[in-house]
Amino acid sequence: MFKEIKFLIFLWKTNIQAAMEYRVAFISQMIGMMLNNGVYFIFWIIFFSRFKNLNGWQLSDMFLLFGVGASAFGLVAFLFGNYDSLSEIIAKGRLDYYLSLPRPVLLHAIASRTIASGLGDFTYGLLSYLASGLFTWDGLGRFFFGTFLAGCAFLAFMTIVHSLSFWVGNASGFAGMASNAMVTFALYPVSLFEGSAKFILFTLVPAAFMGAVPAAFVHHFSWTLLAEIFLADFILLGLALLIFRAGLRRYESGSAIPTEV
Amino acid sequence: MTMRNLSKYWAMLKMQLVNSLAYPSELVWRSLAIVIFLWIFAQLWRVTFATAGTTTIGGLSLHDTLWYLMLAETIELSRPRLSHSIAETVRDGSIAYLLNKPYDFLLYQMSTNLGESLFRMTLNTLFGGATVWLLVGPPPEARGWALTAIAVLGAWSINFCIGALIGLTAFLVEDVTPFEWIYQKMIFILGGMLIPLDFYPHWLQTISRALPFSYAMYGPARLFVTPDLTRFAGLLAGQVFWILILAGALVLVYQRGARRLAINGG
Amino acid sequence: MPAIEVDNLCKSFVTKHKPAGFLASLRALARPKTFTIEAVRNLTFEMEAGELLGFIGPNGAGKSTTIKILTGILFPSSGQAKVLGFVPWAERRQLAYHIGTVFGQRPQLWYHLPAMDTFALFGKIYEMDDRTTRQRISFLAEAFEINDLLETPVRKLSLGQRMRCEVAASLLHKPKLLLLDEPTLGLDVVAKQHIRDTIRRMNQLEGVGVLLTSHDAGDLEALCKRVIVINHGQIVYQDKVSALKRSFLTSKLVEVRYAEQIPVDFHIPGTETIKVAKERYGVKLRFDTRSTGVETVMAQLSAAGTLVDITVSDPPLEEVIRLIYTQGAGKDSEPSTT
Repeated sequence: MFKEIKFLIFLWKTNIQAAMEYRVAFISQMIGMMLNNGVYFIFWIIFFSRFKNLNGWQLSDMFLLFGVGASAFGLVAFLFGNYDSLSEIIAKGRLDYYLSLPRPVLLHAIASRTIASGLGDFTYGLLSYLASGLFTWDGLGRFFFGTFLAGCAFLAFMTIVHSLSFWVGNASGFAGMASNAMVTFALYPVSLFEGSAKFILFTLVPAAFMGAVPAAFVHHFSWTLLAEIFLADFILLGLALLIFRAGLRRYESGSAIPTEV
Repeated sequence: MTMRNLSKYWAMLKMQLVNSLAYPSELVWRSLAIVIFLWIFAQLWRVTFATAGTTTIGGLSLHDTLWYLMLAETIELSRPRLSHSIAETVRDGSIAYLLNKPYDFLLYQMSTNLGESLFRMTLNTLFGGATVWLLVGPPPEARGWALTAIAVLGAWSINFCIGALIGLTAFLVEDVTPFEWIYQKMIFILGGMLIPLDFYPHWLQTISRALPFSYAMYGPARLFVTPDLTRFAGLLAGQVFWILILAGALVLVYQRGARRLAINGG
Repeated sequence: MPAIEVDNLCKSFVTKHKPAGFLASLRALARPKTFTIEAVRNLTFEMEAGELLGFIGPNGAGKSTTIKILTGILFPSSGQAKVLGFVPWAERRQLAYHIGTVFGQRPQLWYHLPAMDTFALFGKIYEMDDRTTRQRISFLAEAFEINDLLETPVRKLSLGQRMRCEVAASLLHKPKLLLLDEPTLGLDVVAKQHIRDTIRRMNQLEGVGVLLTSHDAGDLEALCKRVIVINHGQIVYQDKVSALKRSFLTSKLVEVRYAEQIPVDFHIPGTETIKVAKERYGVKLRFDTRSTGVETVMAQLSAAGTLVDITVSDPPLEEVIRLIYTQGAGKDSEPSTT
């Protein structure tokens, strides 16, 4: 376990080195994404300046929610940049490369790339929290921890969705839609949804664990909230590993993709 | 341009349509995006209207707002995505070879992109329309649909020109993605994609109406909800104005840039 | 202990038929048509430690599948295999520490970084300590003559330079066995020779076994002591390369040049004229040594005119191999004794 973390850190270092070969693009992507998010958020500023209150939800809550969601997304994109390319890696047989090396296949595959704009998302999320008016110093600690947990949920979900490629060939179309859904739902106040819709957000598309619940935890410490997130992450990560492993066995039996003989 | 010339572009358009059918599963997933967005919007605005305690905001009812958003989303999701492919042709220098025939290159881009967009528009209208119908009831009166369709084509043209111009900024910058992002966000905010412009404070509405984005989004969507000829005429005039300016800029930038490439050798 | 032991290995794939066109693909969704490919059939062979073994065969012969099974990437349908004492598909990770792979089509070097950085990463992947990594890198850089290439981003290297770095990278962790799949594909003659020489040298210096698949008979001749010819998933022939040429050498090529032009109906009985030189000052012919004596042909050729130049050669290895493919399994394939 420990040596995998050491390996991961070196892999991240190598990624950043590769990104630094194109310094200008790196900076422009990072700043561009921050601007991108900022301009998008203007929508909410306009919205809440007109409609002060949405079932108890206010602009400051929106700042916080957006902060956690954007940072979680950015964290995954920056550190595990292949999180959304897994279908392609599977479909094109590029897993062979990772399989021929003595390191855990999934980890190695998803961490072998960095998306520069992810750092922009992460930084923006942090700034959004700082600007929310709900900032506290212990809240900041919870922000980083909460973001990490939210990122786990997101990464696990993406892995599960992309792993379907082991069975259907190339699930990138489906995965694209699923990630769209996940991120979009995560960035809208959960109080907007009721009943069965709300249920979906805690299960099928666990966006609540990428946005609302971690955000609530950042807002105020609560053992219940923490336990909820831990449980959700545990289940999601467990599922992700199980499904990927099952898919990998299928891949190794050769029936997953049409192979060159 | 002779008939034979034009039929060439028509053939490209048809080919793109057929191309889009090659992967049916891809289409289904893409089309579900609009379902998700509209469903979320429905929740948002339902709660908003309830909280505000009124039946109309800025002159629009919940029903109108949702149909507005449906058309806005359709336009956005069917928008021609050509900035990256054009940026590529600039980067590898192949654009310089087409210097003598700018119309050919731009028309080629138009026909292929229009083919794909038409296809997306149809699917998005069907899926989006079905979703909103289920949520808030039947669409606005059919007599406005023809006018809206024309307006949507005008909107498409504006988006085409802007997209192509962004692609051509590859003459100056290495990475056009930030521009693409900014453009999309301009559409969101100043085009009225997330909120009908009618809900905006006055000063923001004035700014939006001075820019092309509202003619590429708000205009057609609003027309769809309350179709009338005066509104249509005003919109069409604005669209034509912007199309002329943007298309002119496009041809100019293209010729200048390609010429410079040809002289300097890419 | 042999490096590789393969016993009755079989692998078949079931793939779905993917038709073109919209309606057809809808139909296929509802009722998929599958068919079975038998990629590898009852493959049995052994490879000694430190040996140089070639695996040759046409496309679709089963080479890549076999290599994948041996590296543990693929499970066989039936049969046994052991690589360096490990069962590849069951002990893939342990095996990975001791083998190196180079797939001609799948680069391992990070494209945007200098090769040096990938080497450093590989050091971490194989859990080598920094000092060992550094020593290995300098040793390999010397052997492959890539010292001045190490700091250049890989995308700026030529294919030949890149392949040298790739093979060097695969040897970083001092593997006992190196598996190469089409390593010289696309390289020019000089680059090919360089790679072959270096691999051979590494084999001599470090005793690393080399299993090489290739289309290129030149790779075989330069690099391998023994060759296995595989076609339709089966071994068609296996023997030392030298023996291969000898047992299939039933024909000879002769190229002659005369001082005067040869007549239009020029023909030596018992031979087949392959080419007549422009201006008809020379000819290239082939004959079967089993039916026509060399002595006879030589005599007739020198009687036909004033010989200016003559070359007698064996058919190229390629042709020998092509013959083996077409003849199929079983014929004339008693391996000579080691």
